[in-house]
Amino acid sequence: MPTTLPRVAFIRGAIACLPLTLACAPWGLLAGSTAIDAQLTPMQTQGLSLFVFAGAAQLVAIGMIKGGASALSILVTTLLLTSQHLLYAMHLRPLVSPMQAKWRISLGFVLTDEFFALVSPFDQKTFNRWYALGVGLCMYVGWNLFTCIGVLVGRSIPGLDQLGLEFSIAATFIALITPIVRNGPTVVCVVISLLSVVLFSYWQWESAIVLAGLAGMTAGYLCKRLGAYLA
Amino acid sequence: MTTWLIIGGMTLILFFNRYLFLEPRLPIRLNRGVREFLGFAVPGMLTAICGPIIFIKDHTLNLSPGNPYLLAGVCAVGLMLWSRNVLLSVALSVALFYLFRWWL
Repeated sequence: MPTTLPRVAFIRGAIACLPLTLACAPWGLLAGSTAIDAQLTPMQTQGLSLFVFAGAAQLVAIGMIKGGASALSILVTTLLLTSQHLLYAMHLRPLVSPMQAKWRISLGFVLTDEFFALVSPFDQKTFNRWYALGVGLCMYVGWNLFTCIGVLVGRSIPGLDQLGLEFSIAATFIALITPIVRNGPTVVCVVISLLSVVLFSYWQWESAIVLAGLAGMTAGYLCKRLGAYLA
Repeated sequence: MTTWLIIGGMTLILFFNRYLFLEPRLPIRLNRGVREFLGFAVPGMLTAICGPIIFIKDHTLNLSPGNPYLLAGVCAVGLMLWSRNVLLSVALSVALFYLFRWWL
């Protein structure tokens, strides 16, 4: 794919990301409608999606603003809640860091869970920057569009957060994980990650996701090392 | 005004988290061990994002076999192993999710 025309690669990336973008629609609508409900202005609501561009962090921040939390506690929560991006960037470092600043900053800005899921399988030979930009911008435009619709009509759909729409995200990630679970260490990684995230969320730790992810990754890595040592 | 400060602060935090390790002047080199460790980032992190969606409802743990999220999640794994098609597995498992929710 590195030799593909930029335009073709960009469109391929955007198409690859389209199902995931649509799966985010319920959250986008919620991010729009709940922010209005929490007394944010339409400009502030759209500003969150335009500048912050992080679903989970936006919804949590909106909830905290509504609950009257201090600015500092909201920012600390955001830092912990979105720390998985540090790991994503570290994983993508060999691909992205040699590029020019404009590319690093653009791809960094659109780095999301979905972007990482779609772009991380590539290596130095197969990675295409235009494909990655297509993935990222598709999600960015979609997310902002859904936020805007949420501002306009979200509140007229009663109980949007009770419809169970978030299952589509879980289903998408399950479909992405299943084919890569092919060996013992990866099985251990997934099992430990799942057990710890359930436990940590039950304890209501703010950084449950990133800590559980790290626990799973550590377990998988140790298993792989142990296997190599015993072999 | 405070709201705009929060939005500005969140913007800086998110960009910091996303960009820090993409900066080539940051003096870290990834050795083989680190690369192997990061190889587990996709299964580890994506599983951790799915966990709470499936097992946690309103801050309580739902481990019952009648949990539609759990049943449909297991079906998604099965569908993916069988079909090897992401879109088909997602569409069918979402349909099954609503079937289970209505039925159970």
